[in-house]
Amino acid sequence: MSDVHPERRSTEPDCAEVVLRLFEYVDNEAGPEDRERIEQHLDACGSCLREYERDLLLKSLVRRACGPERAPHQLRMQILTRITSVTVVRSDVTQDGS
Amino acid sequence: MTVSAFAPVDGVRTSALRCTGAARRTVAWRAMTTLPTDDDTQREADATVDVSTESPQERAARFEREAMPLLDQMYSAALRTTRNPTDAEDLVQETYAKAFAAFHQYRPGTNLKAWMYRILTNTYINTYRKKQRQPKESDAAEVEDYQLARAAQHTSSGLRSAEAEALDHLPDSDVKEALASIGEDFRMAVYLADVEGFAYKEIAEIMDTPIGTVMSRLHRGRRQLRDLLTDYAVDRGFVNEGKVDR
Repeated sequence: MSDVHPERRSTEPDCAEVVLRLFEYVDNEAGPEDRERIEQHLDACGSCLREYERDLLLKSLVRRACGPERAPHQLRMQILTRITSVTVVRSDVTQDGS
Repeated sequence: MTVSAFAPVDGVRTSALRCTGAARRTVAWRAMTTLPTDDDTQREADATVDVSTESPQERAARFEREAMPLLDQMYSAALRTTRNPTDAEDLVQETYAKAFAAFHQYRPGTNLKAWMYRILTNTYINTYRKKQRQPKESDAAEVEDYQLARAAQHTSSGLRSAEAEALDHLPDSDVKEALASIGEDFRMAVYLADVEGFAYKEIAEIMDTPIGTVMSRLHRGRRQLRDLLTDYAVDRGFVNEGKVDR
């Protein structure tokens, strides 16, 4: 993401601005300049750091709890059968025509 | 779906997908001119295949090699989206049927998972959302809303770490339940970002919305999730209501 306030680039970002950009940072979507400014701010500001840690935790919690589950075996077989049956029909037609 | 006369698939499948003389010669030729056929070689061949000269059998085999390994992920996404196993199976069946039928339109070497997700999402919206008659959350004034809300929630309390600690001890079932109970668009955005790790740009393509909307959905979805999980943590006695900073 690009800077929303490019004119303020050289000044120290305030907490509200950092918090606004934190979840882009957590998602690895912040641009290099935003990144650097956020990191500098997090080094200096305990409350933003805790906010960041909570965002990070929530993200990892969702990943841990809602991650891949095994598809039912029957579903896999049904899909494979479908792919295969279409192929068989098509190859039969080709053989008849040649 | 009924399993028909094609039921004893294994033998049929093998011969149907791999029997042609041309295909066998290609494999043999490849084996002589490159390293022995392994997964990497196959993947590279699949990523650079000329779709226009591919036979239906070769395409079906390529679809099987490339799309079937994504099945667990697609099923999990369908499960989170529909919130029940029966609908999830139907959605995945339909997604794979459409993807297979349109596989000649998929550009080899590009992001197949994102392509499949887009089909799944479209299918869900066109079929299941109508069926469920769920009111769609409004995205009105979303970006401004997200920016204001984001700024407003920032208060300086020293008690967050204790709360974070409590959230971390919640069982997975609580997190699944919380995700299932937030708005559908929020749920999908959060799932795609946090579980699948898609970039905002990819989520925007999958959900067919501007990036600003994706960011707003992520923000609001996570905010709701956080509130719900905090409630659960309070209910379980992991954290004292008075100490919760919202």
